[in-house]
Amino acid sequence: MSVSIAEDGAVARTRRRPITIAARLAPLIWVGPALALIIVVVLWPVVIMVHTAFQHISPDGFILGSAGWKNFVYLWQEPDLVPILLRTVIWVATIVIGTMSISLVMAQLFNQKFPGRRAARWALIAPWAASVMMTAIVFRWGLNANNGVINIMLHDLGLLKSFNSDASDWLGTPTSAMVWMIIVAIFVSIPFSTYALLAGLQAIPTDVYEAARVDGAGAWRTYVSITLPLLRPAFIVALLINMMNVFNSFPIIWEMTRGGPGHQTSTTTTFMYQLKQSYIGESAAMSVVNFGLVILIVIVYLRATVWNKEAAS
Amino acid sequence: MRTSCRHLALAGVSAVVAFGLAAVSAPVARAADTTLSVVVADYGTGPADASLKYWQTIADDFHAANPTITVKIQSINWNDFDTKVQTMVQNRQYPDITEGDYFSNYAQEGLLYKVSDVMTDPSNLMPAFTKLGSYGGVQYGMPFTTSSRAFFYNKKLFAQAGIAAPPTTWDELMTDAGKITALGKIGYGMPLGPEEAQAETLLWFLGNDGGYQDADGKYTINSPQNVETMEFMTKLVKAGDTEPNPGTKNRAELLEQFAQGDVGMMNGITTLLPIIKTANKLTDADWGTTAITGKTGPISKTLGVCDFMAAFKGDGTKLDAIKKFIDFTYQDKYQIAFDQEYNLLPGTVSGAAAFSKIDPALAPFMTALPNAVQYPADTAWAQVKTQIQQIIGTAIGPDPKSVLDTIQQTALKGS
Repeated sequence: MSVSIAEDGAVARTRRRPITIAARLAPLIWVGPALALIIVVVLWPVVIMVHTAFQHISPDGFILGSAGWKNFVYLWQEPDLVPILLRTVIWVATIVIGTMSISLVMAQLFNQKFPGRRAARWALIAPWAASVMMTAIVFRWGLNANNGVINIMLHDLGLLKSFNSDASDWLGTPTSAMVWMIIVAIFVSIPFSTYALLAGLQAIPTDVYEAARVDGAGAWRTYVSITLPLLRPAFIVALLINMMNVFNSFPIIWEMTRGGPGHQTSTTTTFMYQLKQSYIGESAAMSVVNFGLVILIVIVYLRATVWNKEAAS
Repeated sequence: MRTSCRHLALAGVSAVVAFGLAAVSAPVARAADTTLSVVVADYGTGPADASLKYWQTIADDFHAANPTITVKIQSINWNDFDTKVQTMVQNRQYPDITEGDYFSNYAQEGLLYKVSDVMTDPSNLMPAFTKLGSYGGVQYGMPFTTSSRAFFYNKKLFAQAGIAAPPTTWDELMTDAGKITALGKIGYGMPLGPEEAQAETLLWFLGNDGGYQDADGKYTINSPQNVETMEFMTKLVKAGDTEPNPGTKNRAELLEQFAQGDVGMMNGITTLLPIIKTANKLTDADWGTTAITGKTGPISKTLGVCDFMAAFKGDGTKLDAIKKFIDFTYQDKYQIAFDQEYNLLPGTVSGAAAFSKIDPALAPFMTALPNAVQYPADTAWAQVKTQIQQIIGTAIGPDPKSVLDTIQQTALKGS
């Protein structure tokens, strides 16, 4: 790439032809469509979102004038906002940590040669390929306080005394509901991170391991000193994509608890949707806050890719 | 490079040609045709009794009688109906006609046709619900189907628990629920989850001379009576006499459980009848209905609920087609077919007269309708209802008053 630019530059210098405006605009023909797409699909909605956050809008979508910072003030005054923000942090952290640690082990396992490996790798796709909404509904049914299959199993094992009790109503109390939703979220996130890490593992050249073996490094030492550092690029990419996915995750919470009781199992994403029903401006303000948080993750991501380059060079 | 570009260009040209041909060969709609989009709530419990079927029959019959008008039906699950219709309105994608919940907000914003514009004989609509369907003294919502609530109890479980008669007071209800809970069943089913919490809440409020509004139409959600009611409900839940965590349990789920014979008592609706039949666990002798229990005795008034049709103006060009379709839909035979399918009650006077001859079992529900208590009819109600559905479950707990205060504030803030 850099070679061809140098050649072009050389050509331009030797000929010294005046560059017309038309010629300057010529690249637009190639860049234009992509640029237009980014402007229309990415930037414009952001502008609209921010604009909406500063407007006073009736529940049925009629714009009643400017609201200044009022929507943000109302949002801040929501008694549930702080618990929801804290819950969102816990939601993202536990799921991402859980997913990444399990995926590290799974990827290692799938990188070994064993009979049926191909079938096992295919099977791992299932939770990823299935609609998250469907998975969430299946779990919701399984956890039904009266006749959920998970409860029936626990009952048959003697771990659950009676149906229709607080103990069997997993999704009825905020804490146990959150635990189950986190389990479901980890379950559906594992395939992607495992495949990302598996690809990373396969990219590590075997001669490094051979050298380590010659030097007499044990299995654990090899893993900590060779596998983990060389896996870092794949790990960081998987980690950050996971973080954004989990942060924006809507269907699991919506299908399993609808954020209830009250807002006690809502994250900022589901809360934003619930606000939209009656308070569009305030919901847009919540979107802006969410957007800011995602941007924050993206900046970390970009910094991380820089680390990757440094690590690679 | 250049050759591949040319190939691409050729491919592009042929694609355009193919598209053009497809467009030409597609049937061209006649200019005079009108398409009506009708959005309806789905009252069914599955594909067999989906409301789409019922409406498609009307749409087909109507199209046969009026070949220039095509009716497109979209049915939305009852739980999501309000949200989806409101989203359509927020996005300015107005349906032409809706059937389900109606909110006076749409009338306030001038989005709806007056009933007198879209119906030849509005006087046939059940007068008990005129006020509920009106805004500023003008009627916009057309009662389509109605229902009233009753107290359902499982006679089989009552016999097992040694209870002679259904409860008449809250204290009796609590004692009886405790006895049924001891059998390992749900004593009293209390659906305070998002689906229909506003109905269950109001029925309890009524039992203590409370309600959402006073006689003058002022919101009184956090009145002392209502707080006391929530305190009693909390006591009932804490004693374990209801299903666990009522704030997260929806009516549909509890109705199914009642039909399975797992619930001793609950405030039900006529739609429970077909659910009981389908489940095939309870015979007609196994369950009964009676007046809803109040604090010191059965309440004299029940809750009357009505679902409306409403016609959106849109660009104002479809008035004639809308009127034709609405007149067509409100024929007695369609009213009866709907109410037989779902065990609901008619929304028209002539429909009710015809229906009571066919199904005498529903007659008591019908006589209760005219003096039934109704939901508020003002424009704050849409938001109040949404908030009740979301948070009333949290009023079951140490501090019911603060939750009721929050909802009252929403009501006073208005829209």
